[in-house]
Amino acid sequence: MITNNKEPLLEVKDLKTYFFTENGIVKAVDGVGFKVYQGEILGLVGESGCGKSVTAFSIMKLLDYPGKTVGGEILFKGENLLRKTDAEMRKIRGKDIAMIFQEPMTALNPVLTVGFQISEALLMHFKISKDEAIKKTIELLKKVGIPMPEQRINEYPHQLSGGMRQRVMIAMAMSCDPILLIADEPTTALDVTIQAQILDLMSTLLREFKGSLIMITHDLGVIAEIADRIAIMYAGKIVEYANKRTIFYSPLHPYTFGLLTSIPRLDIEMKRLNVIPGIVPNPLHFPEGCKFNPRCRFMTNRCKEEEPQLIQVEEGHLVRCWNIDKVAEEVKKELLVGECEYK
Amino acid sequence: MNRILRKLFSNTTSLIGIILLIIFIAIAIFAPVIAPPLSEDHYIIPRMSWDINPQPPGSPMSDEIRDVYDYMGAKIKYDRAIFGTAEGGYDIFYGLIWGTRTAFKIGLITVSISMLIGLFIGSISAYFGKWLDEILMRITDIFLSFPFLVAAMVLTTVLGRGLDKVMIALIVFGWMGYARVIRGNILSAKEETYVMAARALGVKDNKIIWKHLLPNTIFPVLVEASMSIGSMVVTASALSFLGVGAPVGYADWGQMVSFARNWIIGSPGQAGQYWYTVLYPGIFIVLFVLAWNLIGDTLRDILDPRLRGEL
Repeated sequence: MITNNKEPLLEVKDLKTYFFTENGIVKAVDGVGFKVYQGEILGLVGESGCGKSVTAFSIMKLLDYPGKTVGGEILFKGENLLRKTDAEMRKIRGKDIAMIFQEPMTALNPVLTVGFQISEALLMHFKISKDEAIKKTIELLKKVGIPMPEQRINEYPHQLSGGMRQRVMIAMAMSCDPILLIADEPTTALDVTIQAQILDLMSTLLREFKGSLIMITHDLGVIAEIADRIAIMYAGKIVEYANKRTIFYSPLHPYTFGLLTSIPRLDIEMKRLNVIPGIVPNPLHFPEGCKFNPRCRFMTNRCKEEEPQLIQVEEGHLVRCWNIDKVAEEVKKELLVGECEYK
Repeated sequence: MNRILRKLFSNTTSLIGIILLIIFIAIAIFAPVIAPPLSEDHYIIPRMSWDINPQPPGSPMSDEIRDVYDYMGAKIKYDRAIFGTAEGGYDIFYGLIWGTRTAFKIGLITVSISMLIGLFIGSISAYFGKWLDEILMRITDIFLSFPFLVAAMVLTTVLGRGLDKVMIALIVFGWMGYARVIRGNILSAKEETYVMAARALGVKDNKIIWKHLLPNTIFPVLVEASMSIGSMVVTASALSFLGVGAPVGYADWGQMVSFARNWIIGSPGQAGQYWYTVLYPGIFIVLFVLAWNLIGDTLRDILDPRLRGEL
C-alpha cells in the first residue's frame, strides 16, 4: 500500500541526535531522513548501536541528557515536533504517537496492575470516568487476544507470560488509538511462534485503525513479513531506502547485500554461513570516508576518502554507495540463485 | 503485601518484636486504665511525696500529698508508687506508662514527617537531576555534616523547652538519610524501561514519580524508617536526659532517666540502693528500641532479595 501522491504522516528530515559524553560527541543519528505515509509500515533495520532506537526516541522526544537532537526536522501532520514544548509533547505522546518497547519484561511496571497501566493513558488523554476506562481496558485486552480480560486487569505483570505481556504492551500503546505507532524491536524477546502471533496481531490492528507503523528491528524475517518500505541504517545513517521488494531482490548497498547473504538458506548448498567481517565501528571514531568501508568487500580508494551521498537510483530507491554497479552484479550472481522465491 | 505480613509473623525474631510492640501499643492505649491520671493534664507525672530522695517500689502516697488532692477535690484512684518514686517524689510507674504515649508520638511523628521530607527532596532530586539535584544534594550534605545529637541539642536549646521543639529539632536533622536512600533508588529505577514506557504514554512527571517510581523504591526507606523510630526515641530521651527536652515533670522516658541521674550509684555504703530509678525506665527504652529494630531487621531481610537468597 504505497502511495506517493499524498502528504506523508511523518516526515523526518536530516535528523541529527548526538550524545555529549565525557569522551566526546557520539553522533548516534547523523542526518537520517524518511517519510511515513498513513497506513504504511516502515521497517528500520540495522545492527545494535546503529541508531535506530535513538531515532525512535528522538521522534518521541524522550531522550534525556546527554542525548540531544541538534538538527533536522520531524514533521508530524505538518507540524515540527522539535518545536513543541514538553506539555504539548505530552499530549501527543500516547495519543497520536505511541510506542511499543523491546522488552515486555521490563517495560511494564512490576508493582502496578495491568489494568491500571492500560487505563492510565486513557484517563490521561480522554475525559472519561474510571469505570468507562476500565470497560475500555477490558475491550482492549479482548482485542489483543488476552483470555478472561476481566480477571487479567487485576493481575500484575509477573503473573503473565512473555507473549501476554507484549500483548498488554500493545494494548497500552493502542489504547488511545494512535495514528502512528513506533515499535522498537517488539518481537526480539519472544520466541518464534509467539513472534508470529504478535506480528499478526499488530498488522491486523493496524489495518483496523488505518494507522502507520515504524518497525524497528534487526530481524529481516520480521521485516519481510510486515514492512512496506525499508530503511537500512548503518552507523547513524540510512544507507539504503527502498520498498520491500527492492531491498530483498535487488539491493544496491554492500551492507544490505551482506545482511541478506547472512541469512541461512534452505534452497542452496552452503558450506558456511556468510558473515560481514569486522565489528560495528566505535561511534567516537568513525572511519574516514564511507563508514562501512573497513568491512566492505567492494571497497575502493574512493570509499576511504570521500563519504558517498544518499542518491536516488530509481523512483523510491535511495542508496549511499560508490560502487552500485559492482554490487548489482554480485547480487545477481549470489543472491538470486536457487529455487527460493522471496514473497 | 500479604507475603510480607506472613513472613513477619512466621519469623521468631520479628514475632518477638511484634509482641513487644503490641504490648507497648496496649500500654499506650490503656494508659488511663493502667495509671489513672490525678490531674487535668494527663502527661504531668503525679508526685507521691515531697521527699527529694527516691522512695522504694510500693511506697504509698504521702499524707501531705493526699491532703493536697483532697483539698482540690480530686478523686485519688491511685495511691501507691508501684515502681517507686524518682527524685522529688515523681511516680516512676506513671511516668513510664504515660511516657509510652510520648515515645510513640515522638517516634511516629518525627519519623513520618522526616521521611516525607526526605522522600520529596530525594525523589525530585533524582528524577529531575542536573542542577536541581546538585543544589538539593549539597543542601543535604550541609545538614549531614552536623553531628546529629549536637545539632538537635543546639536547635532545641534555641527553640526552647518542650516536646514539640524536640520533635522539630529531630525532624530538621533527621530527613537526610531518607533523601539519600530514595535518591539512589530512583536514580537506578528511572532508567528502567517501564519509566520510559510511561513517559511514552504521556504520563506526567509527578505521576511517574508518585505512581511508578516510589512504589518500586520505597521499601528500603520503610526499613530505615522502622529502625529509626526506636533511635529517634533514644535521641529524644537523650535530649531530655541532658535537660533540653521535655519540661520537668512531663511523662517522658528520657525525663525518668534524667531524674535518676543523681541516684544511679546509690548512697555511700549502699551501692545501687536506688536501682529502681534507672532500671525501670531503662527497660522500657531498651525494649521499645529493640521491638522496632527487630521488626526493621526482618523487614529488611524480607525485602532485600540479596539477603533472601533469591539473587
